[in-house]
Amino acid sequence: MAYAQAQSQHPRFSVLSTASLGSIEHLSPAASATRFSLPSAPSINTALAGGKTGTRPNIYDRNLNKTRTTEVSASAFAFLFSEVVQYTQKRVSGIADLERRLNTLGYRVGTRVLELMVWRAEGTSKAPKREIRFLPALMSIHTQVWKSVFGKPADAIEKSVENSDEYMIIDNDPPITRHISVPRDMSQLSCSSFSAGIVEAVLDGLGFPARVTAHNTPNDQYPNRTTILIKLEQSVMDREEALKT
Amino acid sequence: MSHHLFLLSPSDTPLYELTHFSSRPVQNVSSPLASNLPSWSTSAFAGTLTALSGASSANQQYNPQGGSARIGGGKDRHVIQMVANASLDVIEDVMRKENLMYLKSVDKFNEWTVSAFVTPGNMKFVLLHEARNDEGIKSFFMDVWELYVKTMLNPFHTAHTPIRSAIFDARVRASAKKYL
Repeated sequence: MAYAQAQSQHPRFSVLSTASLGSIEHLSPAASATRFSLPSAPSINTALAGGKTGTRPNIYDRNLNKTRTTEVSASAFAFLFSEVVQYTQKRVSGIADLERRLNTLGYRVGTRVLELMVWRAEGTSKAPKREIRFLPALMSIHTQVWKSVFGKPADAIEKSVENSDEYMIIDNDPPITRHISVPRDMSQLSCSSFSAGIVEAVLDGLGFPARVTAHNTPNDQYPNRTTILIKLEQSVMDREEALKT
Repeated sequence: MSHHLFLLSPSDTPLYELTHFSSRPVQNVSSPLASNLPSWSTSAFAGTLTALSGASSANQQYNPQGGSARIGGGKDRHVIQMVANASLDVIEDVMRKENLMYLKSVDKFNEWTVSAFVTPGNMKFVLLHEARNDEGIKSFFMDVWELYVKTMLNPFHTAHTPIRSAIFDARVRASAKKYL
């Protein structure tokens, strides 16, 4: 991953840095620095120089447990996620479309979260296991997935009373939407569709295909309360029924 | 003695395949020639070929040298792929009931034993082998799993991208040499 990033950033930043070098002749270095406002440019250049002389870093040399306990800055993530939402919003024709796209983006995250999370848990065990029953899988989403993605377990799991194939994961204050205030005319929108995508990917990977959506369900105590609604496909219900005996 | 590894995506697209010729002594050989002759035509597999002669001759017309660069003899390649593909049915049956990732010896076809490894994300690693080597194969699968996790963390990798990384290939080969 590190290599891919370096490669993807390289041409863009090198163009900028040569441009800024050219401008040094006319402008003071300070002016060019403010103009391009790239405080990290020197460090990227040194990293590239190091890469050229030594061996190129590759993703297979990296220890997967290296970032196990590290955390991402919440403000950096809020900023990135706000860009994600804005970028997506410019390219869609309605709230449903926007939610669907956020869901797709979350799905890409979820497939990786699942594989990495289980590898970290089971990678050293003698007989690594998969979840094959739905309820334990749902519990592991509620605790393990939420912990590895958001740093805390979700607040509740509920089973729908009306429909036996519907389950809900409830988060009283989802970290990813903590800094988002949705305009009144878009009150239907829940940016937690991104989390819904993650849940959908995890369920899909484990073999429980489902349609997962996010809904705002505020109450007096928690104005940001969000419900992730899981609607399982019939095949999953049939299989659970068959495994019960 | 040879091993054939296939990595299959959740939708059963082959993403990577490897043939490994092991130099280890074979424990239970049906034909001793098979261990030291890379040419398939003289190995015990010829029996299978005869059984499947209809398919093989048809395929040879289209692709007389298919895959010969990577495989000892190109003409048996499709039979091996077929055995691996056929075992998917059994693997999918077993993985619904068993909660283990490593499914040892799920299927047998003539001298081939099929072992599989199912990752939590529903990727399937299928290995065709001749001799029993449960612990070695498990360690091999665990190595491949780690390499696969690293591959899929790459944002440019999707579930259907064939894995073409030379480093991935080299690592899998090194692990195969170590354990198989």
